Amino acid sequence: MEYLRTLRNNNVIYSGTRNNFNQQTTSDFSIRFVFSGNERYSIGKRQLSIHTDSFLILNKGTHYTSTVESAIPVQSFGISFDDKFLQDFKNSWRLKDDTLLNLNTYPFINRYEHEFDETIYPFKGDLFFNVNHLKHHIGRGLQDELLINEYLHHCLINYFQIFNEEIFQKAQRLNFLSKSTKIEILRRLNLAKEYLYSNYNTNISLDELAEYACLSVTHLLRTFRQAFHQTPHQFLVQIRLQRAKDLLKNTDYPVNEIVNMVGFDCPSSFIRLFKDRFQVTPMKYRLSF
Amino acid sequence: MKIKYIPVFTDDIEKQVAFFVENMGFEFYGKKSLLPDQESVLIRTNSPDLFIVILMDADKEFGRGRIIVNTHDCLNDYHNLKMAGVVFHNEPHYLPMGLGAEFYDPSGNQYLLIEERSYNNPV
Repeated sequence: MEYLRTLRNNNVIYSGTRNNFNQQTTSDFSIRFVFSGNERYSIGKRQLSIHTDSFLILNKGTHYTSTVESAIPVQSFGISFDDKFLQDFKNSWRLKDDTLLNLNTYPFINRYEHEFDETIYPFKGDLFFNVNHLKHHIGRGLQDELLINEYLHHCLINYFQIFNEEIFQKAQRLNFLSKSTKIEILRRLNLAKEYLYSNYNTNISLDELAEYACLSVTHLLRTFRQAFHQTPHQFLVQIRLQRAKDLLKNTDYPVNEIVNMVGFDCPSSFIRLFKDRFQVTPMKYRLSF
Repeated sequence: MKIKYIPVFTDDIEKQVAFFVENMGFEFYGKKSLLPDQESVLIRTNSPDLFIVILMDADKEFGRGRIIVNTHDCLNDYHNLKMAGVVFHNEPHYLPMGLGAEFYDPSGNQYLLIEERSYNNPV
């Protein structure tokens, strides 16, 4: 279903099937999702691709182009938060003692938030449930803006929870004394992660990954494992398996074709890895729907 | 064997029936003597074959209970119940098993509205 809903407080919700090239500047802080296929965003020199398992943050004023490059129709969904709504949310959370956004615990959140947030994050946890509920209700014609804004408020809570988990909790794991070094290393590791998210189906070498992240290969391997408790290769395999799962569920492509589409070389190793991770073979998983 | 009746004690049956029917959207089912010398009212819940039995307890001898109400969308039901006049003890908040919010009925029984969420692999 296609709609562009502007609420009285200027929050905007967009849903639609995209099949074109789009060039824009974001007027407000936005969260972008896709519910099928994938959408590629160009921001400066960075190429960021979002799938159903990830979402993208765009800051106010960011100039971007987005293109759809998917064999299946791409169902986009986006929320833009009005400045005042966003600021009210941040102020209300700052006043709470037991909040996940406790700025006494994370005093550097304000300083680095803007620099960090414009990247790809995993679409998971409570954000997944709340965005799905919101999309469902608006698709069915929900008019009650109080309820819609309640969902939007919770989407922000959920986003900042993910931001906290993905940025600050992981920065704490890095073995550096200086906070600023931890933050800088994590910023570069996030570049590596977004590169893996966006190029998962190509043959990625460690050299090119390290170059994109502005780290040496040794440094990348050591710090990536410290922060994320896995190697870049393990992270890449995890993305490929999740996207293969999505294709098995939502398309009729033969398994062998999916193996190639997500970047695996060998069907037998794909089947073994899939079964290890999800405790079911790809064919049995597909037949369960 | 299955659970069919959930007892809820009150010192004002009429007020308690109004809460379940007008605020919670359940259905008045009738009066029935389940226990000797006890006035009781049946309320049909949204689950088939699961009834609430409102029991008179003017002296508050039995204390008050705690009932967990399951929902598939906590924010939506929280909003609708609030609009229907239910007073919540807290706003929806995140618990290990999902999203929940608590409220009381006029007799002091406590309810947890909970949306259970499977966080392992929702996709």
